[in-house]
Amino acid sequence: MRLGGAAHGPQLAAQDARFEIDGSAKTALEVGRNRLCLAGALFAIAFLTIAARAADVMVISGSGTEHAASGAAALAFDPERADIRDRNGELLATSLNTASLYADPQMVRDPGDAARRLAQTLPDIDATELRARLQSDKRFVWIHRNLTPRQQYAVNRLGLPGLSFQRERRRVYTHGALAAHIVGFTGVDNHGLAGIERYFDEALAGHAEPLDLSLDIRVQYVVRDELSAAMRSFKAIGGIGVVMDAQSGEIIAMVSLPDFDPNHPGEAPADARFNRATLGIYEMGSTFKIFTTAAALDSGTATLKSGYDATNPIHIGRFTIEDYHAKRRWLSVPEIFMYSSNIGAAKMALDLGVTNHRAFLDSLGFMRPAPLELPEIGAPMAPHQWREVNTMTIAFGHGLAVSPIQVVAATAAMVNGGILNPPTLIRRSGLEGQRGARVISPQTSAEMRKLMRLVVEQGTGKNAEVKGYLVGGKTGTAEKNGVGGYKSKALLSSFIGTFPMTDPRYVVLVMLDEPKGTKESAGYATGGWVAAPAVSRIVQRIGPMLGVAPVDGDAPSVKKQLFVSTDPKAPRLATY
Amino acid sequence: MIRRSTVLFLVLAAAIGFGLFKLTFEVQGLETELHRLNRAILAEDEAIHVLDAEWSYLNEPTRLEALAKRHLALRTANETRMRTLADLPGRGNDVVPVAKPGTPWPSGTDVQPALTKSRPKP
Repeated sequence: MRLGGAAHGPQLAAQDARFEIDGSAKTALEVGRNRLCLAGALFAIAFLTIAARAADVMVISGSGTEHAASGAAALAFDPERADIRDRNGELLATSLNTASLYADPQMVRDPGDAARRLAQTLPDIDATELRARLQSDKRFVWIHRNLTPRQQYAVNRLGLPGLSFQRERRRVYTHGALAAHIVGFTGVDNHGLAGIERYFDEALAGHAEPLDLSLDIRVQYVVRDELSAAMRSFKAIGGIGVVMDAQSGEIIAMVSLPDFDPNHPGEAPADARFNRATLGIYEMGSTFKIFTTAAALDSGTATLKSGYDATNPIHIGRFTIEDYHAKRRWLSVPEIFMYSSNIGAAKMALDLGVTNHRAFLDSLGFMRPAPLELPEIGAPMAPHQWREVNTMTIAFGHGLAVSPIQVVAATAAMVNGGILNPPTLIRRSGLEGQRGARVISPQTSAEMRKLMRLVVEQGTGKNAEVKGYLVGGKTGTAEKNGVGGYKSKALLSSFIGTFPMTDPRYVVLVMLDEPKGTKESAGYATGGWVAAPAVSRIVQRIGPMLGVAPVDGDAPSVKKQLFVSTDPKAPRLATY
Repeated sequence: MIRRSTVLFLVLAAAIGFGLFKLTFEVQGLETELHRLNRAILAEDEAIHVLDAEWSYLNEPTRLEALAKRHLALRTANETRMRTLADLPGRGNDVVPVAKPGTPWPSGTDVQPALTKSRPKP
């Protein structure tokens, strides 16, 4: 660099300086400056963009929290095990959070006072025993498991130090024993051990959606109420009551007595936990004549006008088939049905033939366990070799043991137009796609309705009558198969009814195990005297509840629809 | 010129820094609120669940029947109490006579009008 003379002054010096920084140095400076500007501009743009966005977030769209909130998943209460409800949404089983009370004895200041006050607050706590435990050296003692919210509040109010709560899940059955055999119960680990709880164990554990049963808890209550009243008055050892929708196969009520509280299943004897309606299998007695008669009418081997000679008992092998309500004469088919003639039914079945009879009972599902959503299902007991004698006894309900629920489902098929629907405990939304198999023709079904109405109008089931509901049905009285043959004193008395007979909506079964005759039943313990009145009372109470329109039984159209002549004409002349 | 833009950017940066600071606090506050609300919803859900169970328990038919017997003068409905809409007068089917007050109930039943009975004291 060359320095100019002082005489040139600053102007010259500046000129010189401008002049001097020329060439390569100047270019480097320019490039540096340009780059700096560019970088600065880029940073400024980036900064401004961020600033703009920040301002946007903070000021302009700052109120858009609704959008943000919808993205934040709300936590839902997880019951861990789905609820079980009846068909109207009434809760039957639910899981509740409960608090279990425990104490750290080291932290309890005055064990005596604490024990005394806790014993006053909570039931079934022994103050002296609790005091001893609170004085121990342990750091953890249970005081009371599964407190109710109210009890928890009361304990909190005591304000005792050293007490704490452990949260636990507990299955609660709000209706107690009312639907115990159907809903079942769970064990301490909340796994189903019986009933629906066990059958749908996995589904219940995996879903939060409640399971809706076909049961109607109000009907269930009525059935249980009337059944236990009948059990009390006839000193029966057990009872079964079932109400089924005749069209869909849905079970509206199913009671087995004695029953138990599913909240404390361990305290119940095994007999009470036994579901007689599905697990028990019984020789049903005369109610089976429904199926014998239907089979004969449907195959054409008998008509409503034909008849059989029931004058003399039948002797076959070591058996004698006799009539309980013996008429000792020729009986028409309607008479055989209404007087419940064993001789007539046996002859009717023989006419039908061993193979046909067996095949018909098979088509009704009597040879295999009922397809029901319960783990407690009894397998029927059928004879290994089906001979003529078996056909004759099974014709009136002895020699083939089935579960009561199967009889109800099969009876529904006899009166609903001939369609057998598998029984179900799950609510059905509609009939579409649920049609079962046809087992008899609509004509035979119409004839069976007439015959079953006849039983209540004039036959063995008069006590089942309900004004306005045109009950029809069949009585059954079976001798229990005990050690060394049948016991004539131990009866299984039943009545299977359906109403209204003009267009059956519901099938009702009442069955009493070993009822004893009373003064009111004129000393009788048969189905017509002990079970039919119970069916009558049940129908009377549930008919209006279920919205069944009363039918005027005296209306000419109804009379005509249900009329059947009991008078045997030509055949009687032919035999005399 | 450079000095002026520097000042501008510094002010802008300070403003935005302050804004972001506030925003962070606001978000934290909202998150706390969300958490609190979620917990409250859970608690309410659980309370509803317990109340559902209690409602069901209190609706036990045995209990309701006992209460109804004690406090109400109602009887079990029977078939005489059921009519179809078509039976109502003024529906084009006036064949069914309308019962005047004081007329006895249809024969064949032992049911008396509930209102004529003296109400039992609770």
